[in-house]
Amino acid sequence: MEALLEPIASLFGAAWPAVWTLAKIVAIIAPLMIAVAYLTYFERKIIGYMQVRIGPNRVGPLGLLQPIADGVKLLLKEVLVPSATSKGLFILGPILAIAPSLAAWAVVPFWDGGVLADVDAGLLFILAITSLEVYGVIIAGWASNSKYPFLGTMRAAAQMVSYELAMGFALICVLMISASLNLSEIVRVQGQGQFADMGLGFLSWNWLPLFPMFVVYLISGIAETNRAPFDVVEGESEIVAGHMVEYSGMTFALFFLAEYANMWLVSILTSILFLGGWLSPVGFLPDGFHWLAIKTSMVVLMFLWARATFPRFRYDHIMRLGWKVFLPVTLFWVLVVAVWIMSPLSIWN
Amino acid sequence: MLENYFPVLVFILVGLAFGVAPIVMGRLIAPHRPDSEKLSPFECGFEPFEDARMKFDVRYYLLAILFIIFDLEIAFLLPWATILREIAGTESLRLFGFFEMFVFLGILVIGYIWVWKKGALDWE
Amino acid sequence: MEFKTFVFYLLATVMVFAALRVVTVRNPVHAALFLVLTFFNAAGIWLLLQAEFLAIVLVMVYVGAVMVLFLFVVMMLDINIDRLREGFWSYLPVGAVVGVIMLAEMVLVLSGPYFGLDAMPEPPAAQAGYSNTRELGRVLYTEYVYPFELASLVLLVAMVAAVALTLRKRTGSRHLDPAQQIAVKRADRIALVSMPAEKE
Repeated sequence: MEALLEPIASLFGAAWPAVWTLAKIVAIIAPLMIAVAYLTYFERKIIGYMQVRIGPNRVGPLGLLQPIADGVKLLLKEVLVPSATSKGLFILGPILAIAPSLAAWAVVPFWDGGVLADVDAGLLFILAITSLEVYGVIIAGWASNSKYPFLGTMRAAAQMVSYELAMGFALICVLMISASLNLSEIVRVQGQGQFADMGLGFLSWNWLPLFPMFVVYLISGIAETNRAPFDVVEGESEIVAGHMVEYSGMTFALFFLAEYANMWLVSILTSILFLGGWLSPVGFLPDGFHWLAIKTSMVVLMFLWARATFPRFRYDHIMRLGWKVFLPVTLFWVLVVAVWIMSPLSIWN
Repeated sequence: MLENYFPVLVFILVGLAFGVAPIVMGRLIAPHRPDSEKLSPFECGFEPFEDARMKFDVRYYLLAILFIIFDLEIAFLLPWATILREIAGTESLRLFGFFEMFVFLGILVIGYIWVWKKGALDWE
Repeated sequence: MEFKTFVFYLLATVMVFAALRVVTVRNPVHAALFLVLTFFNAAGIWLLLQAEFLAIVLVMVYVGAVMVLFLFVVMMLDINIDRLREGFWSYLPVGAVVGVIMLAEMVLVLSGPYFGLDAMPEPPAAQAGYSNTRELGRVLYTEYVYPFELASLVLLVAMVAAVALTLRKRTGSRHLDPAQQIAVKRADRIALVSMPAEKE
């Protein structure tokens, strides 16, 4: 590989590291965007089947060209900037929504060593960059200068920060076990232990000892991405589309892309932190990216399943769940794991 | 260490560019025929009669402050969590390293319980 | 020029510009957003100084949490810019005194023997397996344990103060406690009375 790239590298000279990095970034973003596009298709299809409908089936065979048609349609729609808005911020809102949901992928490991930026503080970086996602919502809602976006923004911001706490404490538990903020290292630690030696790798992953945290993280992930049943932000029946009401065409498409990219991000992080990342569940099968892909798809399926199954939460229930249930549970589990590690029964030495 | 962050920097820039590009494309390709009706804020069929930016319930500010405090707590827990296994392995530090964090957390849990009892976490 | 130096000057320029805009723009929301940009660039500079953990925590805490509160306040409080500008001349002397004192302090600190290239040598190159976070943990939880515990007290005071200052019970709210709603039993809502059939 290196030898093959040598002539191309010499062509670019000193700019080669930047060009090579850009190539890798494109290799991450392009499949991600395809995954995002087809997630919208599968969402409609799967929810359709769950409700005994067929879902989209007109555009192309089995409706497979539907996401592309949607994309083209959005591209051809007028980009409106309503007169009451703050113009600059109105355009900045969707840009700040999509940028962090893409930038977070820089530290995600896809297989052993298959990571763009192998930084030591990977998990911390993820925490920081996901905390920026709230800006897209706040700026969009305020810049719109209209009532529905404003109400939607307040709800969304309060909800996102509340669940960020639960996620943060859940990640502390993972961190105590792995003793490293590096995401690849977190996966490697999950591949060690008695069960892994017996060839039953899936029992040594974090989901088992940290089961309450796994559940908290998954539910907080749904709340953090403002998906059903936590989607009061865009509850169609009361505040239309929340902070996105005034957006049209490509500016709206960016919010949409950001939301689905975030779903993939939360799912792949759940797989990495709790479900052993690229590790094979059983000893006799080889590890690899395909396992991560399968696990991530399963978690995404959970998102869709939750949307098809549960009615929307009432807003005060959402806040209560975040502050009065998840926060104490996660704090308590930090204590449990700390005592566990200190005790002679520790399974992580 | 720094060379590891170079791709992150590039990725952030690419992310921003990825946000700008579709808007520019939409502006170039899509029609652009604004009129005053189209550009008015979304309402239920009437003209909006006041500025949408209104005063808000103070509860949201309280929530944001509590969020900052707990976020800081997480920031303090992070380095401790990374060295916890190391602490557990060192005989001299064992109980010390363990209890100092629980004094820290204990003080904040007292605050948390107080806030709860005060009803600041209720959403009415 | 080395690439690192270039990045430093880029970040520094944007940071100084953004900081200037914080105090010069008229719209408080724009000012808050420029402050976000300032913090972001400061984080970049800290990262160049190899302070990995602190740089990212700066983004997480200040940009992700503190500035969200700031934005909440300036966005929702309906700040009247004209009213704010009224007191400008009467506050100017006080502001000038504070500014001069701060400037003097900065000069004293920065011109002292604690700064400069000889007082602050470049950190040694990181070895394999070096973790900034872990190193920080080792120091923070041993040598600086008392300041660390004091920090929790400061946070506790902040929590209590925030609640004491802002918590108001709303009157006339039709809130129902979800815990009570969930805990409700059949017997609380319905009473079965056995009545003998009446005969005409």
